[in-house]
Amino acid sequence: MAGLLELDGLTRRFGPVTALDDLSFSVPAGQVVGFLGPNGAGKTTTMRAIFGLTDLDAGTVRWHGTTVGPQERRRFGYMPEERGLYPGMLVGEQLVYLGRLHGMSAADAAAATHEWLERLGVADRANSKVETLSHGNQQRVQLAAALVHDPELLVLDEPLTGLDPVGIDAIGDVLAGQARSGCCVLFSSHQLDLVEDLCETVTIIDHGRLVVTGTVDDLATSGPRRLVVRVEGDRDAAWARQLTGVSVSEVDRGAVRLVLDESTDSESVLKAAMSAGRVTEFVVERRRLSEVFREALA
Amino acid sequence: MKHPIQLILLAVVLAVGLTLRVWLWRRRAGRTARQARPAQLARPARQAALARFTGYTGLVAAREILQRIRGRIFRIGTLLILAVVAAAIVIPVLNRGKPHPQQVGVAGALSAPLRAAVVAFGQSIGTTVRLVPEANPAAARTDLRSGRIELAIVDARLILVNKAISTADTSTTALLVRDVSRTLGVDEAFQSAGLSAAQVAQLAGAKPLPVASLQPGRPSGTTHTTSVVGLILVFVMLTQYNAWTLIGVMEEKSSRVVEVLLAAVRPVQLLGGKVLGIGLVAFAQAALVVAFALILAKAVGSDLLHGTAPMVLVSTLAWLVLGYAFYCWVYAAAGSMAERQDQVQTLAFPLSLPIVFGYVIALTTISSGSPSAFFKVLAYLPPTAPFAMPVLVGLGAVTWWEFTASAALSVLCTVGVAKLATGIYRRAILRTGRRVGFREIVSKAAR
Repeated sequence: MAGLLELDGLTRRFGPVTALDDLSFSVPAGQVVGFLGPNGAGKTTTMRAIFGLTDLDAGTVRWHGTTVGPQERRRFGYMPEERGLYPGMLVGEQLVYLGRLHGMSAADAAAATHEWLERLGVADRANSKVETLSHGNQQRVQLAAALVHDPELLVLDEPLTGLDPVGIDAIGDVLAGQARSGCCVLFSSHQLDLVEDLCETVTIIDHGRLVVTGTVDDLATSGPRRLVVRVEGDRDAAWARQLTGVSVSEVDRGAVRLVLDESTDSESVLKAAMSAGRVTEFVVERRRLSEVFREALA
Repeated sequence: MKHPIQLILLAVVLAVGLTLRVWLWRRRAGRTARQARPAQLARPARQAALARFTGYTGLVAAREILQRIRGRIFRIGTLLILAVVAAAIVIPVLNRGKPHPQQVGVAGALSAPLRAAVVAFGQSIGTTVRLVPEANPAAARTDLRSGRIELAIVDARLILVNKAISTADTSTTALLVRDVSRTLGVDEAFQSAGLSAAQVAQLAGAKPLPVASLQPGRPSGTTHTTSVVGLILVFVMLTQYNAWTLIGVMEEKSSRVVEVLLAAVRPVQLLGGKVLGIGLVAFAQAALVVAFALILAKAVGSDLLHGTAPMVLVSTLAWLVLGYAFYCWVYAAAGSMAERQDQVQTLAFPLSLPIVFGYVIALTTISSGSPSAFFKVLAYLPPTAPFAMPVLVGLGAVTWWEFTASAALSVLCTVGVAKLATGIYRRAILRTGRRVGFREIVSKAAR
């Protein structure tokens, strides 16, 4: 997978703790990439490393094949995990200021600020102090701060935490829109079902090492195939237990989840089910991302 | 100035007021602010000029300036300082307009040479003496009680005052009473020694010998006042604006906004812009105060600016800049190591010691009027020079090349301190988890 942003052999030790351990992966353009891992896996450290906010013991971060420096970083947008805006500064002024720190002219920054506040539904708060805003609105402003200079790479650390469904949809739309317009989007999250909906690609790390990376489709369909079958009148799925080459993963109120061996095809299972009774449900199941995640970390 | 005690009291009051101001400001910063009044979304023009000059550092500085001067506390504080300065200039002028002649009651005989001597004393201590004839000692007592006369001379042998005068009293009446009592005593001694009237008259007309000094003359009282006012200005400004730097850096760290900022600009640009912005606000405020003082003093005809006083004011401004430049880096580095108010206080206390030390020792040197060798050494050390050097200028105890040498030394040290502080700032501002030893900070900062 050729990527615009390449992380190559990142290593970072904090005393006895190795936060990043020879971590390498790349982020393609035009996609929303989910960055997953358990607590303490090194996600935040990786993101900080992209912005030079943590020193690396080894490894390089490249953008279009060039080692990232201050010039490149000015075209990146960052939303840190612990957020961060001046509490007593007006929302609009703050965004204009951040836009200008990324090299925009004053007029461009003002126009972009207006546009993003409008798009995120907080235009009426442009002249309020940040600290007077609700948590959700502060989060929207924080996202606007990462977007105001129209970055080529967007790095968001837990952008969905603490948002209601409306807020999550709004931010999800923005991320998808940015990716479609050619931006690289990398965001971390613990809410795996949301990541599944939002992302085309995921990267999972643990203990500072890459565990798995790939498109959501590939990850969901890789590995053993699964079927969910419901046969009317057979709540315990007794018919399935006699099949060879098939193991029962779970039974939930008559619906049985089956894991097929390589040699077994789904049609033979369907025939067996039909001979057992009326089949009311037959689904070729994709793996959920949470399963991929658990299996990858097991 | 005849009353250094009063000036020191004024200085203490100002220092307390300043502490209160900083406290108020911090309390305001900490609590949830009210809804801001509607304003234009962006005011690019105001920030543009400085930013065009200095790039990203200028942008940071422009934000700093705008946010600071917009604060209500800053505006009220500036008005308060101007009010104090106005009072310090206008009140002495008003007092000077009403000279208070000393009324001296004379009961019984007083020879012509002695009468002349009493009047002459008045002139020598800067007042006029009027002799009031009293019919008898009882009438003199009545006049004393009613306050019509300040003292009474009875038969040239006894001096009466209403209230006892302590030896420490330096009021005009006290000076006059002491002089008159000494002279009358001597006169009585001459008479009992059997000198002729002509001899006594000659002795009574004796003038003090001129006194020649090896050192240049002590400054006038007005230069004293200017020195003290300048000293207070330096102390107030350094304390105030160092606190701004320290707390400003700490708040950027604790609010985590520094992560967003440092994703875009380099630490040296962020830190440089901050101290530049606060420094410009400080200098503008100080220059405003000094300009206001000069114009007002000229307008009301104050003698506050005679002698070396203008030089004192100019050197005060110069050392305010040098002093802030030296200290701001230290305070910024300290701020980058703190995340909470209590940590700030722990860090700020030791840093404030050289400032308080320099301030107090400079105040006492102004009172004594003669700088010690130790004080002259302090005038060359960058931490204390902002206080000591303007005082030496006021006392006329320093040449221009000594002044320049001290300033150059301060600039040189400031460059070193800035390098070290930037290194500490870069290490500490984003530090999470790992403790970085001081040795490591210094060794990496030195690169």
